[in-house]
Amino acid sequence: MKLSTTSSELLGQLQTASRVASTRSAVQALSGVQFQATADLVELRATDMEVGLRIPLAAEVEREGTAVLPARLLLDVARQLPSGSLTLELRPAEQDVEIICGPAKFHLRTLRTEDFPPLPEPGGDQIVHLPARAFTETIAKVARSASRDETRPILTGILVSASGTELRMVATDSYRLSVKETRLEVPVEAGFEANVPARALQELERIVASGAEAETIEIGVRANQVVFRAGDVVLSSRLIDGQFPNYRQLLPETYEHELNVAGDELVGVVRRISLMAQKNAPLRLSFTEGELTISAQTPDVGEASEPLPVPFTGEPFEIGFNPDFLRDGLESVESGDVVLKLISPLRPGLIEAGDGSGFLYLIMPIRLNV
Amino acid sequence: MARLIAHLDLDAFYATVELQRRPELRGLPVIVSGSGPRAVVTTASYEARRFGVGSAMPTSRALRLCPDAVLVPPDFEAYRAVSQKVMTLVRGTVDVVEVLGLDEAYLDLSGMHSPKAAMRRLVTQIREQTGMSASVGIGPNTLVAKVASDAEKPRGFVVLTREEACLRFAHASPSLVPGIGAKTAEKLERLGITTLQQLAATPGEVLAQHFGGRQGPWLRSRARFEASDQITPVRVAVSESRETTFDIDVTDGEELAAALRRLSENLCDGLARHRRSGRTIAIKVRLDDWTTVTRARTVEQPTNDVEVVYDVARGLLCEYAPSRPVRLLGVRMATFADEAEDAPRPPGGQLALPW
Repeated sequence: MKLSTTSSELLGQLQTASRVASTRSAVQALSGVQFQATADLVELRATDMEVGLRIPLAAEVEREGTAVLPARLLLDVARQLPSGSLTLELRPAEQDVEIICGPAKFHLRTLRTEDFPPLPEPGGDQIVHLPARAFTETIAKVARSASRDETRPILTGILVSASGTELRMVATDSYRLSVKETRLEVPVEAGFEANVPARALQELERIVASGAEAETIEIGVRANQVVFRAGDVVLSSRLIDGQFPNYRQLLPETYEHELNVAGDELVGVVRRISLMAQKNAPLRLSFTEGELTISAQTPDVGEASEPLPVPFTGEPFEIGFNPDFLRDGLESVESGDVVLKLISPLRPGLIEAGDGSGFLYLIMPIRLNV
Repeated sequence: MARLIAHLDLDAFYATVELQRRPELRGLPVIVSGSGPRAVVTTASYEARRFGVGSAMPTSRALRLCPDAVLVPPDFEAYRAVSQKVMTLVRGTVDVVEVLGLDEAYLDLSGMHSPKAAMRRLVTQIREQTGMSASVGIGPNTLVAKVASDAEKPRGFVVLTREEACLRFAHASPSLVPGIGAKTAEKLERLGITTLQQLAATPGEVLAQHFGGRQGPWLRSRARFEASDQITPVRVAVSESRETTFDIDVTDGEELAAALRRLSENLCDGLARHRRSGRTIAIKVRLDDWTTVTRARTVEQPTNDVEVVYDVARGLLCEYAPSRPVRLLGVRMATFADEAEDAPRPPGGQLALPW
């Protein structure tokens, strides 16, 4: 294999690929990134057996072939290379790859190509095309609620479903739950539902947001695998087994209080006051006639409070929330009014987009020891 | 009331967690260990143990014994999470629990109705809900319980009275008993004592001559399986530390400082996670000739701020100015602040959805 490209192109694509490469696998080749050079295409491939990624590298191929290089090390090298053109050549006899960039010359030992698994081709039993922006924006709304606790695999996924003109994603870490429903202009041909690891979707979102030129995302769902294709990029992921929690039965049917609040104002106050909620201290929301006072206090650090006019009526009450969880929910609403729905201090609260854009965020309170 | 103590020990714990996460390794000899030249085995799967690989053995040696072993780097985050689940189940069955580590605990079964059935149920529950297999030893005190749990690993379930324990292990080496290490066993052997039975029959005075007035009689009581029947439900760590052994001994000051920084970050991370902060910051330095020194300084305010910890640690290192290449470097935090004032909200304050 021999190819020439530029150091900035290599760095750019490698930054994406190396995020997918495994950091702690028993199989060394999985910590690598595979170069596959064919006459008309050079592809970088990385996988940790859960998520697989194939991205193109703009390069001129002098000799076809394939090689696996340690991702982390190659990335460090690429970062330090002078800008300009570079050549990358596999030297089978030496079992290394020679990289020449300007006056700099590197020889990197290769990892075993045989150990690098083949990655799925796009397509599948069931293929759906969805507008790329709608899809990734929906991901961005809910991804933060997915759990990072690997001992509860089901919650580390985002439940993605599409049918008719509706795309829906749901994520929860059991402290909060995000649901985003996005209306599709063109109904999907065949509906599907799959629990996709959040990190795979977040990677997809990043790739599309950072300029993969793709109008649509092709989604191929198989028995235990999903393959996304956006332009030249192919991202595949294992699906998560098991029953995703039935969240619908948990959404309270009625609420005691339903308040329309200007979203940006509320987010501003929450961000400010949160600064004084350190070491897991809760954010306190005290509701009295016509007013919401948000306060926080951390022993030995300090305290803060700020009132905000809200259309509240009835018995005053106080509810506590994790400041980060509350902020995540409010920020996901983005602009316009926020509808805050509450029942009592120990019942879940609901944050909704006031513009009917189909976003809702259920958040569990923190018990306040008054 | 007769005392009854159980020792519950998860079988090849770290390796089992790894196998659960990477089913493709099932049936293969797996060694959980770092990969540097001086790494030691954290744990090994039973397939690897068959080759003679054991915990705390230098990894290089383990790989000579079992060249096909798959090395897996330890991931303590994951082990802690599984451990927590197991311990929650344990606490659901037994009130008084002394957690000894991520993978073992003493349980006080005294006064419990049908304790053996309860323990069998607990083991099943642990297997069903976490996939971990456990071995249980039950006896009148911690020592019998501990040795019994080890006797038929994996998935052992051994119940012994003190007398039965004495009989069953009569011909075993004294080093079978926790607290009698290789050095002591060697010394006993020189006195012609090679079994627990012999040790138990040796008069206390004779042992006192060779091992001193405290250790001598203690050794004899160990051999007779006499030990405390009380367990200490809460073990509060009095200090927390991080240390690293360099692959190659380090002389360069900058490099030492960088390592110290990493250790401090790591330590503060762990402290912050448990919402602890301390006042005494100490470093430990081992030189290439195994000279080992510690230096400590106490600050005014409890802290887990990496900048403060690193600053103090760096200062201590500069003052000590190692005269030879450094083999091992460590950072320790002690004198913890009262945890109650550290944690403004009670655990469980955050309510969760029912899944």
